[in-house]
Amino acid sequence: MIINTTILSWVTFVYFASAIFYIFRMVTGKEFWGPLASFSALVGLIAQTGALILRWVESYKMGIGHAPLSNLYESLIFFAWTIVLLYLIMEWRIKTRNLGAFVIPFAFLSMAYASFSPHVSSRIQPLIPALQSNWLISHVITCFFGYAAFTIACGLGLMYLLKGLEKGGVSRPFLRFLPGRKTLDELSYHSVVIGFIFLTLGIITGSVWAYSAWGSYWSWDPKETWSLITWLVYAAMLHSRFVRGWRGKRMAVMSIIGFVSVLFTYFGVNYLPGLHSYF
Amino acid sequence: MKKAVLSFLSSLKLTIGLFIIIAVASLLGTVIPQQYDGGESIRHLNPALVKVFESLQLFDMYHSIWFIILMGLLSLNLTVCSLNRFPTSWKLFRKIPSLDRSKPFENLSPDRILATEKERNEVIFGVERLLLKRYKRVRRKDTANTTFFYGQKGAYSHFGVYVIHASILIVIAGAIIGSLLGFEAFVNLPEGESTNTVHLGRQKVIKNLDFAVRCDKFSIAYYDNGMPKEYRSDLSFLKDGDVIYQGPLLVNHPVTVNGIRFYQASYGSTPGDQALITIKKGNEAGTTITARLKDSLHLKEKDATVKILRIEENLMSMGPAVLISIQSPERNMRFWVFKDIERIKQGIPDLFKKVPRFNPGLFEPYYFKLNEIEKKYYTGLQLSHDPGVSIVASGSFLIIIGFLITFFSSHKRFWVRVDGEEGKSRISVAASSTRDPVGLKRETENLMRHLKSTI
Repeated sequence: MIINTTILSWVTFVYFASAIFYIFRMVTGKEFWGPLASFSALVGLIAQTGALILRWVESYKMGIGHAPLSNLYESLIFFAWTIVLLYLIMEWRIKTRNLGAFVIPFAFLSMAYASFSPHVSSRIQPLIPALQSNWLISHVITCFFGYAAFTIACGLGLMYLLKGLEKGGVSRPFLRFLPGRKTLDELSYHSVVIGFIFLTLGIITGSVWAYSAWGSYWSWDPKETWSLITWLVYAAMLHSRFVRGWRGKRMAVMSIIGFVSVLFTYFGVNYLPGLHSYF
Repeated sequence: MKKAVLSFLSSLKLTIGLFIIIAVASLLGTVIPQQYDGGESIRHLNPALVKVFESLQLFDMYHSIWFIILMGLLSLNLTVCSLNRFPTSWKLFRKIPSLDRSKPFENLSPDRILATEKERNEVIFGVERLLLKRYKRVRRKDTANTTFFYGQKGAYSHFGVYVIHASILIVIAGAIIGSLLGFEAFVNLPEGESTNTVHLGRQKVIKNLDFAVRCDKFSIAYYDNGMPKEYRSDLSFLKDGDVIYQGPLLVNHPVTVNGIRFYQASYGSTPGDQALITIKKGNEAGTTITARLKDSLHLKEKDATVKILRIEENLMSMGPAVLISIQSPERNMRFWVFKDIERIKQGIPDLFKKVPRFNPGLFEPYYFKLNEIEKKYYTGLQLSHDPGVSIVASGSFLIIIGFLITFFSSHKRFWVRVDGEEGKSRISVAASSTRDPVGLKRETENLMRHLKSTI
């Protein structure tokens, strides 16, 4: 096994530990677990960054150098990386560890799928002609930052709905440690905005690429179409917030629906015929 | 009535409804096979269902009338909404609220108030200079013992949403222009051949170009592990016999000639006009030659002339074969030589009795063996001419600017009040913003810091 994949499978466990610590912190209400959780997430992120750089370098040593963003394995790893990076920036900016229990598990799941699924090959493969483009990096990066922001928004939406149980008379100690519903709503909105901008950039870079690779900037390929569907879901969400002033529960539900659409754009499309068959 | 129509067209319900309908329709289009899939998967469907789908244009949904109507409605909704709301935004942009309002100053937190020993006039002078430097449309109003200032920032943020909506209309306009004035076409071009006719996209119609394209060579390069590394066509473009452009065409690197973009889309192979043939007598090794279609070669011993009349890639589903003609003083004959004759004979042991023309040893004592036929690649070229692209591109660029304005700027208003008695002045600052309370707080804190340093 090549060294970078070994590091990456260890990172999977580090994220698992981090997720567990965040959940302990939430359930027990003891701050003791907090720094441990943040620290392991940070260690995981640094190790993962190192492994990604190593993988990049290794591909050059193999004579087929390209950014590690070219197949399902690499995209899953990068997805986890963007989730943890965005999350840690958020944690640092808003100075609360309350969100980790609902975000880091997504990063762990993505890493685990990449590392342990028998259907996902971790080999470094050369780029087929269609992928040999300068647009590969900008397209993949913008898309996955968008996906990551939507993932965080979904985590926040789930937290919002959980927190809503309190109002219904359910009283669990851990509910008290969740941030207030207004804060959750604001944060979720900001994540959706970031995701929406990145998704739009991802669609634009993708169509520029398609224009030079396939001869048309838009060909209704299933992945293109699903990215449009996702875009419409979040556009609807933003409009109902701006124009109608919808807040709270409805937004939380929509951020979860949006995330389902993101997941389908990412994975589900592989089961449909189309041009995006590399991921 | 007219009012009701207008209010329906500008309603958010219509917008959200259209979003949902377009999303669901697009979703269906990814599940129902679309025509350009070649129709293979349609055959598995129930014929009655196919009829229903066909009448609803579900097999070419994204170009169907009703999908275009949906897009048209969305554009209309976008336009009416924007026109409806624009006057309000314009007012918000232009209007300067009254300066001597007391409401903003109610319940002001202590860190928004500065006290100083300085002379009031001096303070007013400093405040005014600072505000003029930092904000737009600064106004001042003096009353008996109080001076009010107003300044603002980011009023343009009211227009962000119109920039976004306009850019979406621009993208749609570009797409319409492209589909009306542009075309997509394809052509399969064997190596060494040239053409000026291509097949138009979905309509199987032929289009003539005013120049010809010739494929000089097609080649594939592979990585060590067998994955394809490069598909490359060396093309020449000719007009009136002159080469107007010559160069390689690679995937991801289209070539534009006379406003038409050429793409390396696919490839395939057809038999060429050469075959590698071994002619032997009895058990001797024989001679192997590369024979060209229609060229003749001489067999001295029998004074015979051998010619290859046809080269087939897959004759009667039995693989590659060549048709050989023999002309000699004894007799003239024609027979087929299959590459896989040994395998074919195993399947049909009495083949030569049934079909003597399939016997490669028919011209005794010679025996012909086909080693290989030359394969000629053809390159699959995709052509497109789309005059709407630059419009779509500028719309896409504009939408990002619209996002930055809408999501990252806000209209921030500041009221500054200077009052106080002899030898003692007080500055109070009140602020409001359309969105972005965090940014407002940061900006107000900056303003307080600067005020502090001026007094």
